Amino acid sequence: MARTLSSRRGRLGRTTTAGAAAALAVALAACGGSSSSGSSAAGSSQTSGVTITVALANTALPKAALAAFTKQTGIKVKWVDIDWDSLQTKISAAATAQTYFADATDVDWSRVGQLSKLSWFYPMEQFLNTKSMAADMPQLASFTVGGKVIGIPYDASFMVTTVNKDLFAKAHITTMPTTLDQYTADLKKLQTSGASAHPLDIPFAAAEGLSTYWYETTGALGGTILDQSYKPQFTSPDSPGYKAAEWMISAIKSGLVPKSNINVTDSQGMQTLMAKGQVASIFSDYSGNVGTLYNVPSASSVVNQVEYLPTPGAAGAAANWSNPDGIGIPKEAKYPKAAAKFIQWFTSEQQQIDFAGVNGAAKAWPTYPLPSHLSAVKVMATRGNLVGGDALSAMLATSKPVFEGGAPPWYPQFSNSVYTNLHAAAAGSETVAQAIKAIAATANGLAS
Amino acid sequence: MPKASSLPDETQAAPAAVSPPRRTAAGRRPDGRERAARGLPYLLVTPLALFIIGLALIPAAFTIIEAFYRVNPLDPPTRFDGIGNFRRLFANNVVLTSIGNTALYVVIGVVASTVLGIFFAVVLRRPFRGRGILIAVLILPWALPGVVEGILWTGIFDPNTGLLNGVLSSVHLASHGSVLLGDNRWLTIFLIELVQVWQITPLSALLVLASMQLMPQELFQAAEIDGCGAWQSFWRITLPLARPGVAVAVVQALIATLNVFDQPYVLNGAATTGSSITEQTYFISFQDLDFGGGYALSLLITVATLIVSLVVVRAVYRRVDY
Repeated sequence: MARTLSSRRGRLGRTTTAGAAAALAVALAACGGSSSSGSSAAGSSQTSGVTITVALANTALPKAALAAFTKQTGIKVKWVDIDWDSLQTKISAAATAQTYFADATDVDWSRVGQLSKLSWFYPMEQFLNTKSMAADMPQLASFTVGGKVIGIPYDASFMVTTVNKDLFAKAHITTMPTTLDQYTADLKKLQTSGASAHPLDIPFAAAEGLSTYWYETTGALGGTILDQSYKPQFTSPDSPGYKAAEWMISAIKSGLVPKSNINVTDSQGMQTLMAKGQVASIFSDYSGNVGTLYNVPSASSVVNQVEYLPTPGAAGAAANWSNPDGIGIPKEAKYPKAAAKFIQWFTSEQQQIDFAGVNGAAKAWPTYPLPSHLSAVKVMATRGNLVGGDALSAMLATSKPVFEGGAPPWYPQFSNSVYTNLHAAAAGSETVAQAIKAIAATANGLAS
Repeated sequence: MPKASSLPDETQAAPAAVSPPRRTAAGRRPDGRERAARGLPYLLVTPLALFIIGLALIPAAFTIIEAFYRVNPLDPPTRFDGIGNFRRLFANNVVLTSIGNTALYVVIGVVASTVLGIFFAVVLRRPFRGRGILIAVLILPWALPGVVEGILWTGIFDPNTGLLNGVLSSVHLASHGSVLLGDNRWLTIFLIELVQVWQITPLSALLVLASMQLMPQELFQAAEIDGCGAWQSFWRITLPLARPGVAVAVVQALIATLNVFDQPYVLNGAATTGSSITEQTYFISFQDLDFGGGYALSLLITVATLIVSLVVVRAVYRRVDY
């Protein structure tokens, strides 16, 4: 699941290599498809005078920052920017074939359970004092399975609700909603008043963004998707997950969501609907979008009109689901200890403050969304470097992982079932009950 | 007169890989230079042969073997599973739907690209001003990657801001914001395949055009003297003689449509309204990490491609001698 704005924006472009998937599968067979999982090629313990490869779905860090790291440690960094989908394919292919491709690379929160079970990555506590990091990094929990930390979050993406306050004002809504019922009533008011024909964006394309939206809505209603033993918690019509699905599907059926959203992805909705004033709200938006998209004049026609809203829940503001990007060390890394030094530096509070642009443009990492250190976010908010900083830092402090026990090892299959069935329900080829039943059957089948 | 003969084609005997030194016409043994000259073709072809063996044949052999193994890092160890992978694939409704979708892609794509290819070949057959530019423009979609085309057409099909909806609503054939992709399975598949037809038609046109360029003009002149009209001339002379080109065009369209991935993935995501078999291969292999299932599905696609291609060649191809 792509998390950062840069990687999300590149989602369509990222599919370039996906067409070669079958060929890659074939190549895998030749390169060791029969390998057993979890083997480890012990890398060198050298931590100086080496060059490490860092592969992430982000543009390279500022040259000055990398030069400073090399001067400080003697470790050179070769930065490889690979689109998110290709990177995930590469991680799987390299690990299965037991070949080296990078010393440090992306660990997506949704793959943590899978990566943990496969032992494809080193536990980070082997190199870093992860316990001391936890207090200032609320999203470290999203990367922890069975007490093992698979990756360190380097940004603090989480789901938030955004509203176009100008459109709300046009509909004479002056008090922002705090519950989902009020929020729904306000959306209807926006529609009937003519302020916005279709005020809500839900990305109903059969893609990951739809699954994430459902998780966030379920969380807002006070529920969870799976329990600690990965049992579905959404099958009863009274459950928050079921109600969330009903709310989403009824929103498109009733016209609160544009009918055309049946094939709109999350990033498309943000860029072509919310940023263009076509809709008035996104219930499950990405943290940081106000500053990095909606307030960017070249990309938006709603500059200074959008603000974050504490996510409306069943009986008041609800907690937000974490959605962060992390970085970890594959077992086939050549220089794992050097990679650990890089990760320690890369995810340190001071570096994150620099990357966020607090200390000047020269040190800023242009595509960096939000620091994973709570203290860094607070510094940004205090110094006025973060649009909606106070709201964001408060939400970050209470953000929670989507899956309490860590994402299940079979999460990608589960998510595929979620978004294909919810999409089918929105298109009318399934009812909500059928979609929920199919999703639950997938989860039960995979968990058994 | 040209002669059209049915298969099997004549084949030329391949030179023996190892043979005793041949004597020259004069009866002497070849010297070093002659031997080197004889070996040169083999030397030149070696890199390509190694490339094909290393990157196509060996992986293909592994794919065939491992299609019968359970290869899933989440379910170790790798073990022989007989036809287990195939059984699971045929019990998977999503895979079955994707097989149905792919069949539709093949029918629409092969028919449309072949008919359009023949049409463009006929148009481009005779020299006219700007013909070169027209051919260059025609080739453009073929040169573009499928993903780029998918992104381009995403804009055209966009219900809110897309060109197609704009045109249709302006002539009152659709309301503004009509959903084109993802809502109706038939329409979704038709529109996605339209994008692929746009991509593969240029090659079909060039293949058929190449066949037509070989046809002797005397034939058409003689037909004209005998009172043959343009339409009759096309049906009775052009089309039969173009069959070798048409057969190759159909086979390339068949391979492209059976393996369609970029267009449905970019335009319609993973939705079952348009997902193809190769999309499922990707999801099974790299989302589910069920590589055995991925190998099995890849093998099925390969076998289907081979069988259908053979049928097409048998039915369409005729050897033509001028």
